[in-house]
Amino acid sequence: MSAFFRFLGLAIIAACALFAAMRAVGNDYVFYAGYTVLEYVVLACAWNILGGYVGYVNFGVAAFLALGAYTGVALGRIAPVPLPVMMLAGGVVAGLVGLGTGYLTLRLRGIFFAIATLALAVVLQTLITNWDFVGGSAGVYAIRPKHVPIFGSYIQYMVFLMLTLAVVVVAVSRAIETSGLGLGFVAIRDDEVAAEATGVPTLRLKLIATALSGAFMGMAGAPLPYYLTFLEPSSAFNLTYAVNSIAMPLIGGTTMWFGPVLGALLLGTAQQVITVTISSEVNLLIVGLLLIGFVVLAPQGLIGLLGLTGKRRSA
Amino acid sequence: MRQKVSVLRRLGGCAIAVLAGALAATSALAADPIKIGFSMAQSGPLAGSGKSALLAMKIWAEDQNAKGGLLGRPVELVYYDDQSNPANVPPIYTKLLDVDKVDLINSGYATPIIAAALPIAMQHDMVLMGLFGLANNAKLNYDKYFSMAPTGEDPAKVATKPFFDVADQLVPKPSTIAVITPDIQFGHSVLEGTRAAAEARGMKIVYDRTFPPSMTDFSTLVREVQATNPDLVVVGTQPGQSINVARAIAEVGLNARMIGGSMTGLQTTDAETILGPQINGLVNFAYWLPAPKLQFPGSMDFLAKYQAKAKAAGVDPIGYYVAPWAYADLQILAAAVEGTKSLEGDKLGAFIHANTFKTIIGDVQFGPGGEWAKPRTFLIQFQNVKSKDANEFTGTDHLVLVGPPDMKTGDLITPFDKARQ
Repeated sequence: MSAFFRFLGLAIIAACALFAAMRAVGNDYVFYAGYTVLEYVVLACAWNILGGYVGYVNFGVAAFLALGAYTGVALGRIAPVPLPVMMLAGGVVAGLVGLGTGYLTLRLRGIFFAIATLALAVVLQTLITNWDFVGGSAGVYAIRPKHVPIFGSYIQYMVFLMLTLAVVVVAVSRAIETSGLGLGFVAIRDDEVAAEATGVPTLRLKLIATALSGAFMGMAGAPLPYYLTFLEPSSAFNLTYAVNSIAMPLIGGTTMWFGPVLGALLLGTAQQVITVTISSEVNLLIVGLLLIGFVVLAPQGLIGLLGLTGKRRSA
Repeated sequence: MRQKVSVLRRLGGCAIAVLAGALAATSALAADPIKIGFSMAQSGPLAGSGKSALLAMKIWAEDQNAKGGLLGRPVELVYYDDQSNPANVPPIYTKLLDVDKVDLINSGYATPIIAAALPIAMQHDMVLMGLFGLANNAKLNYDKYFSMAPTGEDPAKVATKPFFDVADQLVPKPSTIAVITPDIQFGHSVLEGTRAAAEARGMKIVYDRTFPPSMTDFSTLVREVQATNPDLVVVGTQPGQSINVARAIAEVGLNARMIGGSMTGLQTTDAETILGPQINGLVNFAYWLPAPKLQFPGSMDFLAKYQAKAKAAGVDPIGYYVAPWAYADLQILAAAVEGTKSLEGDKLGAFIHANTFKTIIGDVQFGPGGEWAKPRTFLIQFQNVKSKDANEFTGTDHLVLVGPPDMKTGDLITPFDKARQ
């Protein structure tokens, strides 16, 4: 337990240092670009809880993210709710949907489960498109306040919240790895039938994983309307979220919390830099080549390439 | 002798004038440039039109700099690829404003991209010209937003108005309508406009089911429409869908008295050359074509410059759709800067509201909501296209303006089967 708190303390210190460094740069662009990278840190870690630890590939990342975003929009239309409350509510709704989806689909495995999660995104997008209360197909504006006490600009406040969420999701990921829950997840990933036969409560563990993963994605989605300032279904359910959230853990490595964080930091930062430097269709080629390169050269991700997985096992 | 002195004086005067002009031009170009920043789709589904718009804007910048720039300063375009994704718009505009320190901003191409840029313009109190946005300002009512799309204050009705104006001329009057639209905002606008038009004319809607935006095979849907045997078929689709629906119509052999209306993307040369003769008979909205009555000062010069550069740039080689509008967009912004001698949003916004602008797509005047004060859309019919050669789609021989009546360059061929042959 003390190791967990030591890790949490270090993560908080790192987050504070990062936030201070961003403020020191002195312009909001760093916060806008940083927000996207941090959002992907959360999404990649959340995806990894189900996809990396348990081995169930979720293609419906955008659905959970959008659930969080539209929960925030719905709450905002009912009453002026602070953003942290929206994030919590988004997490609860997406977590419950994750639990329900898990209960209905976890009998499916491999590609069939992946297709079911993709279908979830399509069904939810159709529902949202036809739900006028949250803007429907026309979309909805979410105008940010110009100033926020302490932080100054609203984007700094949003980055602070996303950074906090990133620390939480990383700490939870690491806690899972070092707990009995993590061992159960690994047993399911390696051989589900054998795990079931040896008494691992597979269904319960899988439900915990889908709920946790969905909840974190939903929390990451709640600030999205305020980041985009205009939310419409095709933006919220954009396939890019799913592609990146899967690619990042694969690049970093799926067996440790460090993998998705590293993958998100590298790929997320590269995408932001390329967008404002090369800024043409070549950026897609570069990102594509990067992915192919990692798949060929480092099938276990960067942590496998660096030998971190082995060190951890021997430790 | 006197004459010689006079000639020498004149020559000297000319030389001084030329030198002064050259110095003035040099000092203007040496001055800090006026930076105009924007995002523009260079990849993703909006890239075709985005690239065409960017080339037009570059031509405008060249033309403007050749005239001495703006306020005696050269103009410089600063742009980034938004990848057709609104999520990239906030960081791009923040970089433009905070890091690149642009003086003016402009929008990227199409509604969702403009929607993401508009609140940023509001926060910085800047003028934003929206390139081909549909009702972007309807809910915000920002007084410094101006739409470069001739759809007027009620775009939902305008999207189908040219179609119904022409349909009204049919004898006997059509009585049934089918509508093919995706389950997105654009589709809902077309549906809303069609329902209103049908109600006003006492027509019966016999098919109005929307389809998922990711759908690619429309043959079943078109067969369902065929089974209802409608007089009119309104198609309100987005670029990729328009091509697939047109193919399905050809494959199934759907017939009606008029088919088409709001098929976005069929205005681009890419779509036209993909379909070739399969496009025959379809009617569609148009914003501008080089028809005699739509050739305004500068239109054809711009087109010549654009077409000379388009092939090398790998963009729409004909450029009738978005390119003239992107050029005109910056013409208006430049006229406001010159008119106010200022770069301040408040002054520019008030000036644009108060004036009519002469541009290569005609006179432009904005209404209180920033949309065009008077909508100006046309209906064309593709006629007698024989091949997939891009040359088939230049001029108005095969892109025949069939409405409104005062703009016609030819008559509507109806029913659809007759035009298809």
